Amino acid sequence: MKKVTFYIIPLFLLSILVGCAETDILDRVGLTTLVGYDVGTEERMSTTVVVREVNPEFQSNVEVITTENETSKGNRMKANRKLSKKITIGQMRVVLFGEELAKDDLHSYLDSLLENPSVSNSLYLAVVEGETSVLLEHEYKNIDDIGQHIYRLMEQNIKYEHMISSTLHEIAHDFYMVGKDSAIPIIKKEGELVELTGVAIFNDGKMVSSLSLEDSFYVKLLRDNFKSGIFETILKEEDIPPNLIKGTSNEMPVAFDAIKSKRELKLVDATTPEFDFQLKLKARLLEIYPDVESGDPKVIERLEDAMVKNLTREISRVIAHCQNVQSDIFGFGEKYRSSVRNSNLSKEKLHDMYKDMKVNIKVEFEILRDGVFE
Amino acid sequence: MKNPIQLSAKDMINSYLLIFVIHSAQVGVGIHGFQRIVYQEAKQDAWISVLLAGLATHLIAFCMIKTLEIYGSNDLYGIHQDVFGIWFGNFLNVIYILYCSVAFFSVLRNYIEVIQTWIFPGLGTWFISASLLLVTIYAFTGGLRVIVGVSFFSIVLALWILPLLLIPLKFASVDSLLPILEANIGSILKGAKSMAFTIIGFEILQIIYPFVKDKENVKKHVHLGLLFTTAVYLIIMLVSLTYYSEGKLDKTIWATLTLFSFISFPFMERFEFVAVCFWMLIILPNLCLYLWAASRGASRVIKISGTKFVWIFSILIFIGTLIVQSRTQINSINTHFGNIAFYIIFVYPIILLLVAMLKKKYSSQKEQK
Amino acid sequence: MKFKLPFNKKQTPIVIQATKENVEMIIPEENNFTQMIKDATHNPSDLIVKSIPPNLTLIYIKNLVNDQILNDHIITNLQNKIYETPETIKLSLSLPEVNISSQLEETVASLVNGSVLIYVEGYSPVVLANIPKRESRSLSAPENESQVIGAQVGFNESLSTNISLVRRNIVSPDLCNEEFKVGKRSNTSLSLIYMNGIASDEMVNTLRQRIKDLDVDALLDSAVLVEMIDDNSLSPFPQMLLTERPDRFCDGLLNGKLGVIVDGSSMAIVCPQSFIEFFESREDKNLRWQVATFVRLLRFTAIFLSIFLTPIYVGALTFHYEVIPQAFLVPLSESRALVPFPPVFEALLLEFIIELLREAGARLPTKIGQTIGIVGGIVIGTAAVQAGITSNILLIIVALSALASFTTPSYTMGNVIRLIRFPIIILAGFWGFFGIMLAFCFILIHLLRQTSLGAPYMAPFYPPRFQDMRDSLIRMPLPYTAKRPSNVRPADEDKFNPEPIKPEKS
Repeated sequence: MKKVTFYIIPLFLLSILVGCAETDILDRVGLTTLVGYDVGTEERMSTTVVVREVNPEFQSNVEVITTENETSKGNRMKANRKLSKKITIGQMRVVLFGEELAKDDLHSYLDSLLENPSVSNSLYLAVVEGETSVLLEHEYKNIDDIGQHIYRLMEQNIKYEHMISSTLHEIAHDFYMVGKDSAIPIIKKEGELVELTGVAIFNDGKMVSSLSLEDSFYVKLLRDNFKSGIFETILKEEDIPPNLIKGTSNEMPVAFDAIKSKRELKLVDATTPEFDFQLKLKARLLEIYPDVESGDPKVIERLEDAMVKNLTREISRVIAHCQNVQSDIFGFGEKYRSSVRNSNLSKEKLHDMYKDMKVNIKVEFEILRDGVFE
Repeated sequence: MKNPIQLSAKDMINSYLLIFVIHSAQVGVGIHGFQRIVYQEAKQDAWISVLLAGLATHLIAFCMIKTLEIYGSNDLYGIHQDVFGIWFGNFLNVIYILYCSVAFFSVLRNYIEVIQTWIFPGLGTWFISASLLLVTIYAFTGGLRVIVGVSFFSIVLALWILPLLLIPLKFASVDSLLPILEANIGSILKGAKSMAFTIIGFEILQIIYPFVKDKENVKKHVHLGLLFTTAVYLIIMLVSLTYYSEGKLDKTIWATLTLFSFISFPFMERFEFVAVCFWMLIILPNLCLYLWAASRGASRVIKISGTKFVWIFSILIFIGTLIVQSRTQINSINTHFGNIAFYIIFVYPIILLLVAMLKKKYSSQKEQK
Repeated sequence: MKFKLPFNKKQTPIVIQATKENVEMIIPEENNFTQMIKDATHNPSDLIVKSIPPNLTLIYIKNLVNDQILNDHIITNLQNKIYETPETIKLSLSLPEVNISSQLEETVASLVNGSVLIYVEGYSPVVLANIPKRESRSLSAPENESQVIGAQVGFNESLSTNISLVRRNIVSPDLCNEEFKVGKRSNTSLSLIYMNGIASDEMVNTLRQRIKDLDVDALLDSAVLVEMIDDNSLSPFPQMLLTERPDRFCDGLLNGKLGVIVDGSSMAIVCPQSFIEFFESREDKNLRWQVATFVRLLRFTAIFLSIFLTPIYVGALTFHYEVIPQAFLVPLSESRALVPFPPVFEALLLEFIIELLREAGARLPTKIGQTIGIVGGIVIGTAAVQAGITSNILLIIVALSALASFTTPSYTMGNVIRLIRFPIIILAGFWGFFGIMLAFCFILIHLLRQTSLGAPYMAPFYPPRFQDMRDSLIRMPLPYTAKRPSNVRPADEDKFNPEPIKPEKS
């Protein structure tokens, strides 16, 4: 037995000397933190990369490079020629798509992202209003690293439930699902800041419309369960019960936080199809103008009724809008597929059906408490 | 009943270790991407296929144990020689040795492919192959005690990965599993059949049986091991089905590894990179056990010593890994091997049991006369 | 190709049939006898031949015998009295060990062992009065295995003192002590000690056989003996424990292990020892079980970190930058910005410096050693970072792993922990996590292959023995650990009755 050890050790040493893998030493590669895709002016695509390089002066500098080519790998090679360090994409955190590109088709881009094992499934996707290169190449006064900044921006907003989550996994999940379409946040350059401005909604691989930032709350309400969200709305005149407050104003802004929501979707009629959508919300009243007697249970009850009316109307509006542009971002089709045996659903069939779909919305709203001062 | 294997108690193992041997022999490279293959047949009912495949392993293991019990203390090679005579028996033995070698090769080549795809696209096949072979040889030359030890540790040290599967569950939707039983029985069974490549390995029982000390407990522990494997596969299948959407699962080649991609800790992200390397520990018992099974067979057929066999074997496998280079070649080997394995593992033991029982009846009648 | 290994345990030694029938007998004539002794010992300058009239001659080596006993008991006794035969002398001497021999070889052996030869004119047998002068230091606290709670006494270099320490701890007639002489030239005495009725006979026989089969020139220390009698001398991992604590030694004996004490060595051998037991300290038994469990887990974590932390750093920075979390990315890359070497070289360099400091500290006198440790650590560390040859994060990692390796209660095992880090760092530098895993598998298999006196080295984990696991990685309360570890195959399995001692509480 011991003889074997004697064979193994020299063999092993030999292989150490001969075989060696290609290295990617952290401080000798340029770390791409963000990539933006646009439609190219001369060639098929234009790519803007944000690369973080470390130089010996203990400082990192961030390079923004735009190149044009037929493929994304070709763009990477072109960008490499402009940099002192090899570009790597293992630390990529955000991928942006220009609006024009998103309206064209995102399928091939998603495919190539998923294919590459160095690309993390947890990176964020976003659509840029306008062109990504404009957004990225601008020299912001207070932002050192635009890649890092956009990543933090999105992470923060998604974590605190201000925006729908758009990790590569989730987007790809919806893209490749027959019964659902994707929704991706929209960002925009706003002066010296970058801002989330709404939600882009897709029909298959094409962006068909967008929803405003206010509506993104309803989108999230319909797609996910809230754990602790924040929400502000304006109760219109028709929502406000007449005896809630001595009516002087016809509009009533309210804000809630610590929202917990639970949603339940049921297919009641497979032929139309018709869905029952039940939503239960619990929240804390944060602000209301003009002030109401929030200690009074009756007032609270009336306020809850007003909220139910308001939410029902708004949700119906958002769903109707999506139906109009044939984008099932809420997964009604998936519900249909999982409830109807042998449905053989396809995207075309779904979108045909989706136009005439009926949704009955039932909202329950409960105000749990208000602040520490009445 | 000729040439039974006589062993001293020192060379034998306790039967409860069979739980680990069976489980570690089954779990290997197949687990990386079995979801897609089964899903393509059985759609969202793929988990039923997994369950059925698990059930089949229990059934086959039952047959195997019955066959082995007839012979008391003998392995498959000895049984072949006894049932079919030296010449035809040895022919079957050679086929079985070849089967073990191909299984070994397939595990090795698939793992190399995973390593090259995920982390080291530039690292030479020859290097990974040689280093893994050396580790395997080192374990093999330690004898059965070390091989079983490797199986044991590969499971115990990998148990912590299972709870990590809870993390992807935050993206899970139960709707993906509905409606249950939409696929017809035929495609579910087809799905179960395509599990063959993933779920084989427990045939090592036929070789290791004479080395077990307390043979009366073998049944219990083998079935426990199989149950554990089925449970692991079922959990992974359920997690994958709910985590991926149908189109994405259909396109993800190594669904289990991609599953890990979302797992991150405060000190480490991209867990799949660690998982791919860590998998070496999980495939190591696979390699060792197949090598050991092949070497046992070779020593019974042509009386070759273990050390000599292992070097010849390794060199052949090494050359083999260099020849098979592209993904398509590997995939076609997997498919063909899976098909052949299905007949060798899931069909042949039943035939063998029937033949062995007939022969036993016949010979006992002859003795009575 | 065959390698002939030194002390190959598997090889059956060729027994030389020492049919020495021509044993030299002593000639009963005074001058002749003195000459014979002088010839046999090559007439050393400290050989004293003193005749006591009328018919006695004393021969001894000055530096080997106890002068006081020689004066008080032998010379005063023998002077002015007439003894006729050696037997009467033997009877009249008030000394504990007096023998009579007429063989030259035995006589000379006894002489060099500290005996006084009393030769009676005209008689062939000589009286051998053994009054050796044993130089040894006084008992002191164990230097290398100190502990806070527990006995503060360590073995010293004298065999008899050490055995008396053991006998004081275990007052029992079952304590067996077999003495052997090893070394053709050094004739070192060593004692095989075990508890009869607890230790397994098979193991005692094995160990006895291994000691008897030794064919060596000299044996100067127990550590050398370990390397010669353990199961695999080629492995870096020690398979027998070296301890200088009598309580740890006795604890082993009471658990059914075997002990060997070598004269002239302050380290006693305990075997069989499993891998995990090297990381257990005697002190764990003296602490409450919760604290003991915590300390043990701390130690195991430390060992794991010590081996794998630097390689993981090297692997992650060289190949797997993807796994580094965003928060670490900037500090890591910026701290390495000035470093001109690849991470593997940087890590090896720093590990090398740390090892140098340790080695220098161990070689120098205690006071200077401490200064070197502190000064070297601070000065070299800061200077290296400022000069830009290492990153400060790696400095922390390397210092942490060095610190962690010193928590191993067994010094020999601690050395191995530090040693195996180097190949793993190199592997990590070449193939990243794949290399680390390769090393891990190799080490795992290597450990699985080892045995300690025939008992599995990885016990109680493999083969799994749940009973024994209660006192391994963790330490369960005493009532749960009533059984002796089955690794030593004890003849008597129960240490005590596991029933609660305080029945009113249960």
